[in-house]
Amino acid sequence: MNAQPPSILLVEDNEVNRAMLVRRLERAGHRVITANDGEAALDAMHTHRPAVVLMDMNLPIKDGWTACKEAKNNEQISHIPIIALTAHAMEEDKAKALAAGCSDYATKPVDFPDLLEKIAGWIDANA
Amino acid sequence: MRTRNPVAQLRPRLSLRGRLYLFSGAILILFAINVGTSLWGSFARNESSIAYQEAVTAAQLTSELEQNLQNKRQQILVLATLRETTEDPVESSELDQARADLEIITERLRQLGGYGGTELEPYYRRLFDSTTALLAEWRLFYEQYNDVGPASDVESALSYNNAQQRLQELDQRQSYVAVQRASAIDATITLTDQITVIGFIGSIAITLALVFAMIRSTNASLTRMKRGVERFGSGDLTYRIDEQRDAGEIGDLARTFNEMSTKLQSAIEEMNTARADADSANAAKSMFLANVSHELRTPLNAIIGYSEMLQDELGDGTAIDREQFHHDLATIIFSGKQLLTLINDILDLSKIETGKMQVSTEVFNPAGLIVQVCDALSPLLLQNNNRLILDIDKDSMRDLDTDRGKLQQIITNLFSNACKFTKDGEITVSAHINHDRLIIGVADTGIGMTKAQQSRVFEAFTQAESSTGLKYGGTGLGLAIVREFCQMLGGEISVESEPEKGARFKVTLPADPTSAPVTA
Repeated sequence: MNAQPPSILLVEDNEVNRAMLVRRLERAGHRVITANDGEAALDAMHTHRPAVVLMDMNLPIKDGWTACKEAKNNEQISHIPIIALTAHAMEEDKAKALAAGCSDYATKPVDFPDLLEKIAGWIDANA
Repeated sequence: MRTRNPVAQLRPRLSLRGRLYLFSGAILILFAINVGTSLWGSFARNESSIAYQEAVTAAQLTSELEQNLQNKRQQILVLATLRETTEDPVESSELDQARADLEIITERLRQLGGYGGTELEPYYRRLFDSTTALLAEWRLFYEQYNDVGPASDVESALSYNNAQQRLQELDQRQSYVAVQRASAIDATITLTDQITVIGFIGSIAITLALVFAMIRSTNASLTRMKRGVERFGSGDLTYRIDEQRDAGEIGDLARTFNEMSTKLQSAIEEMNTARADADSANAAKSMFLANVSHELRTPLNAIIGYSEMLQDELGDGTAIDREQFHHDLATIIFSGKQLLTLINDILDLSKIETGKMQVSTEVFNPAGLIVQVCDALSPLLLQNNNRLILDIDKDSMRDLDTDRGKLQQIITNLFSNACKFTKDGEITVSAHINHDRLIIGVADTGIGMTKAQQSRVFEAFTQAESSTGLKYGGTGLGLAIVREFCQMLGGEISVESEPEKGARFKVTLPADPTSAPVTA
């Protein structure tokens, strides 16, 4: 297995949280690329074809739900699993995220081991 | 709409009691008519039977009188013959007997006079005259019988025949009158019988008609009531029974029902309004809670995430980058303070809402406070690459006696709002005192608001747009707290804005809060 480890696209507008997650994911052995808003996230998905996307939902320019729907309607990137990562922790927020086309859902504050498991699960499923 | 006679529509139906009285009265009148005709009939029958008996008695008397006259004449003829042949006298006892017989005949004649009335009077008078004449001749015959001398002309056949003829005439007349009376009485009996039968049948028909009409009208009234109750019961709260259509008890019932309906309607409407208010308040609170939950989680995410990360990094034995470590701890502390601010905002609003927020005044210079706040918030200003313009009219500024803490929070909230919604722009903070009013302006060149958003922007638990809080952070509490504080300090806040053209908030406070009414 000499191939590059599969990359993760982290979409997060909050600088503090973005920096923290990048560090933790990299420490866990992942290759991480980032985007600050929904529009940039879609561009990054086209350019880098990440294995998994971690997407905050409250994003400037284009919010996470819209970006997610557009990704799912685009054949080139619709196969990429998107894990919603949001501080909206209500039951209906989860339903809303899944309805928008997200493959999975995790709330903030992040349960990191659980998030790693989810990421691994989706990478395995798509391998 | 049914077309009805307008007069009939205006006149209300009789009351139930009125209908019953009318109904009973009509039946009583019918009953009286029936009893009357029946009495009339039986009176006529009675009269008929009396007339019949009279006729029979009169006929009997007539025939007896005829018989007596006939017998007496035979006797006299025999006696006359005897006298001519034997010339034997008659015993005085026999004469007495004969006289008595004549008296009986006279008596019969008188009795006959009692029957027949005025119609028979002339006939009877003639009979009486002729018979009395005949009887006088006979009496004379008997009195002279024993007298010696030439036999008087005993027999006057003329008188007898005359009497007989009168008797027959009377008899005929009696029969005629009896037949006349009988037919008249029969006609009366037939008439009363007919009236009785027709009256009886009529009574039954009218009674049935009245019963039917009463059932119909009462039923119609009750049906109207029932329909009203059903319509109202099924939720048509504006439905009212036409109370003009019935008088008396049913009209009263309709009116009472309508009054009850009106009260119920307003009670239900009040209840619905209260429920709608409670629902929207609940919805607003749920929304607020969801936002609070979101806002609490964002700093908590950093606090927990950084703490866990530092713990991991400490545990795996790699060299510690002290500078990085310090920076990470600062992030944790910043996030913790952000959390604290948020919790304080929530508590402040809760205090204001329950009326527990106090105003504590002190004398200070507002210019100093404004500069201080702007300095403290400079990291926030720089976050979105904004520029600050301070425009404080130092000449007009003087010491104020007001609540320093609240004024500080008012400026802080307005300033951080401006920083949040503006990127690469300018934020202007101005202040001056004009006619004992402190006027503070906070203007930005940010995203601005529509008119509709401006009208809601100061409401607690509400944000200009529900997605605004999601995009720009904040719980929608900052401006609500600012407005409450302005009111508590006897002042007011207003906003001018246009989408994409920034927002200008203007706070006006009395320079001395005791000079203006404190409304909170």
